[in-house]
Amino acid sequence: MSDKPSDLVQGTLDMLILKTLALEPMHGYGISVRIEQMSRGVFCLNAGSLFLAIQRLEREGLIDGEWKPTENNRRARYYTLTAKGRKRLDSETREWGKQAAAIARILEAS
Amino acid sequence: MSLLRNLATGVRSLFRRNQVERELDEELGAYLEMEAADKMEQGMSRKEAVRAVRLERGSAEIAKEVIRSASWESVVDTLWRDLLFAVRMLRRNPGSTATVVIALALGIGLNTTVFSFVNALLLRPPEGVKAPEELREIWMHNPRDSGAQGYMPLTYPDYLYYRDHNQSFGGMLVYDLEPHVVIWNKSGDGQTVFAQLVSGNFFPLLGVNAVLGRTISADDDHPENPQPVIVLGYGFWRRYLASDSTIVGKTLMLNGADYSVIGVAPAGFTGLLVGFEPDFWAPTAMVEQITRDKGRLSNWGVHSLIAIGRLKPEASTDGARAEASLLEHQIEMDHPDLKRNLEATVFPATLIPAPLRVYVSAFTSLLLAVFGFVLLIACANVASFLLARATGRTREMAVRSALGAGRGRLIQQMLVESTLLSSVAGLLGLILAYWTAPLLLALKPASLPITLRLPIDWRVLVFTVIVSLICGVAFGLTPALRSAKVQLASNLKDETRPAGFRKSRLRSLIITGEVATCTVLLVCATLCVRSLRNASSINPGFNTQHVIAATLDPGSLGYSDTLVRTFYEQLSEHVRALPGVTAASFTDHLPLGPAREHTILDPMHRASSKSDAIPVDILRVAPDYFQTMGIPLLRGRDFVSSDGAEGSGVAIINEALAIRLSKNQDPVGQRMTFFGEKSSTEVIGVVPTGKYRTIGEAPIPVAYLPQLRARRTLVVRTSSDPATLLDSIRREIHSVDPNIAPTNLETMRQYMSLPLFPARITGLLLGVSGFLALVLTSIGLFGVISYIVSQRTHEIGVRVALGAQRSDILNLVVRHGLFLTLVGLVFGLGIAFGAGQLLSSLLYGVVPTDPITFISVTALLCAVTLLACCLPARRAMRVDPMIALRYE
Repeated sequence: MSDKPSDLVQGTLDMLILKTLALEPMHGYGISVRIEQMSRGVFCLNAGSLFLAIQRLEREGLIDGEWKPTENNRRARYYTLTAKGRKRLDSETREWGKQAAAIARILEAS
Repeated sequence: MSLLRNLATGVRSLFRRNQVERELDEELGAYLEMEAADKMEQGMSRKEAVRAVRLERGSAEIAKEVIRSASWESVVDTLWRDLLFAVRMLRRNPGSTATVVIALALGIGLNTTVFSFVNALLLRPPEGVKAPEELREIWMHNPRDSGAQGYMPLTYPDYLYYRDHNQSFGGMLVYDLEPHVVIWNKSGDGQTVFAQLVSGNFFPLLGVNAVLGRTISADDDHPENPQPVIVLGYGFWRRYLASDSTIVGKTLMLNGADYSVIGVAPAGFTGLLVGFEPDFWAPTAMVEQITRDKGRLSNWGVHSLIAIGRLKPEASTDGARAEASLLEHQIEMDHPDLKRNLEATVFPATLIPAPLRVYVSAFTSLLLAVFGFVLLIACANVASFLLARATGRTREMAVRSALGAGRGRLIQQMLVESTLLSSVAGLLGLILAYWTAPLLLALKPASLPITLRLPIDWRVLVFTVIVSLICGVAFGLTPALRSAKVQLASNLKDETRPAGFRKSRLRSLIITGEVATCTVLLVCATLCVRSLRNASSINPGFNTQHVIAATLDPGSLGYSDTLVRTFYEQLSEHVRALPGVTAASFTDHLPLGPAREHTILDPMHRASSKSDAIPVDILRVAPDYFQTMGIPLLRGRDFVSSDGAEGSGVAIINEALAIRLSKNQDPVGQRMTFFGEKSSTEVIGVVPTGKYRTIGEAPIPVAYLPQLRARRTLVVRTSSDPATLLDSIRREIHSVDPNIAPTNLETMRQYMSLPLFPARITGLLLGVSGFLALVLTSIGLFGVISYIVSQRTHEIGVRVALGAQRSDILNLVVRHGLFLTLVGLVFGLGIAFGAGQLLSSLLYGVVPTDPITFISVTALLCAVTLLACCLPARRAMRVDPMIALRYE
């Protein structure tokens, strides 16, 4: 239990989901696996918070959901990034870059 | 866009909950399945994989709950479920629910009724008028007088000056404050109709167009050449002219002259004055022809016109006020001979003339306060009812809480219940107000020519909704907070029996407050009703049982003095000849009516005396007036017909004046001089002092003079019931001159309903509120005592088992009830003591600390308490110790 997955920084989950979907349309589990893989196991998502975020993004019109068969012939809801979502991802990425750089500068200064 | 999408999704999930639920299930299921499948690929067995997923991801049900409760529609959803549950709970004991709802409905309904009057009188803008919020009233103000007396409307020359010199208003119109009573000769039959005279720009400036023909124009209203044209009121046109569509161009004979109808005003438009629906409008410049009052248009002394200006968009009320004052000063500079030293001021225009607004709002707020108290008592009942229910449901709340319901959720559920109660009550109250408001208006005396529309419009609706919601939330909150404060463990383990008194402390507090409020209301109501009874039994100084009065005005038909005199002489002969008539006479106006003539006795006439000027009211009467009115002549002689000539120099005075005039001497033969008169007047008789202005007044000095004018009131003394003679008197007037129609032909008893009206309506309303308060309080007492008895069943059982007699148990219950009432009474009587002082100006013949009132209210409340204790006490006495103890 020593390498317990870290909690996400508040508000970054939306951005990560958008980023994941920017590569290709994906279902909920795929998103979760992709985030876990890309973060090399640092972030491990809970189904509740994942679908909460998906529901929020869908209502804001940033992503679109559609029922489709999976590769294993199961039915799952695939999410696609909308144009609005792409714009939001760009602005959030830029904002995040600025903030991260600023935080890094502050931490290095001491 | 995204808000819309959010809304759409939310609504979809509200109404197609099953499908949305299924989709969420499937999606989550697929998620977990896929993860399990991945794990199985890594070599786990299916069972292990599912278990591992569970452990890692947590329960799917909780995940679903989290997702569900994050969206706004879930709030609506829980509210809806709470509502359904509340309906079920309330239907479970329909009896007490109905009692509470009806009590609350009465409280809300009566407040809504009073508010619909407030709305009609003070809030509603005039109907059918364009942009009424831009209208301002211009008044003259005498800074030396206080209150409404200090304000007066404009004269015609004032109006012309203000209209032509102001910069603030886009236009200024005038109308007559007093309605003009006009006799309409309807093919030989005289009928009284009411006219309002308006300036030529009245209709255009208000944006009112005729439904038929045209409205009065500036050309019709030219002072040099006024046109005899009229615009009919819609109601008059429909009622008396059968909606004749060809009426335009026809003529009506009014006050003996022909007027041509040029148009009909739209339905609903009744001018700018509350309570008065004119039968027709005529140009202001026609005033001299209609009233036969020459020179009125150029008279700077007749303040009769209400001026209304439409404020320009760039102007402000303050600016307009400053300008009006300036204009008034300019008038006084131009006409130094006026010597009037007035100011001018500007108010927002409403249906009530501005100076009177403060009185109307004071009266209606008093009523609102009184009925607010009734509502408070009703609300206390609701709170008490909810508290009892909350206590009975502690177990339910504990279970809910154990199942994970948060404190907020429990409070929400209780509030939904109380708001549901109050909303149903509010709806019923609205229906109640719809019926009672016109009923209240019907109480006014028929002779009062007031028409008031009491619509249930959006203002009344908003008022009712707000009052209902406040009732629901404010009085549901305490029980809600209390029920949400559950002690889980103790409540679930066993239902501990609350030990009677302490646990019901809050309810006892509420009922004590209820009794206190009720005491205040009852004391005030009793004081007013007692004062009312005193007032209606006051001797006004004349016979009210066998007298008929009728007002006549041949002068309005343009009759010469000789014709007027002949008419009255003939009428007098005709009426006296009627069987059942014992005397008849005339006066220029009746006492206790709105009309008044007032002067002062010149102090100069008695240089030796140091007494100041004596103010006197003047009544002008014909011979036999005192005999007709049943007023005894104490000294001297009555008038004779030769006294009626101008300058006869005789007067009869009342005792109040006699005392002021000469302390010990015989007043008959004394001389007095009225202000502004050259010759003195001789006192020829003395009559007792009566009531002249209001029924409760202090003695007023009055002088009766024998000179009468064309407008007179006929008074007739009958030997039997006067009501049977009304028709014959109308016939006699018609047979003497068919053109003359009497106004206010009525018995003196009917006439007296007018001066007694304010006291009567106040007494009635207070009586109703006091009665309601009593009923509601006794319901509340009954509820609390029953509750306490049911909570103490166990204790009573123990007492009986230990040998308590039935009378001991009775004692126990009654003592508790009386204790609650007495505490409330002490507080209530204290407050009532103060409230009575506020009422003292309204009271007649009763001191605000009237001991009979206080004692009888105390006795009444104690009696009601005993009654309310009766049923619960009987139940307590029948408690079977075996059952009560075994129930443990």
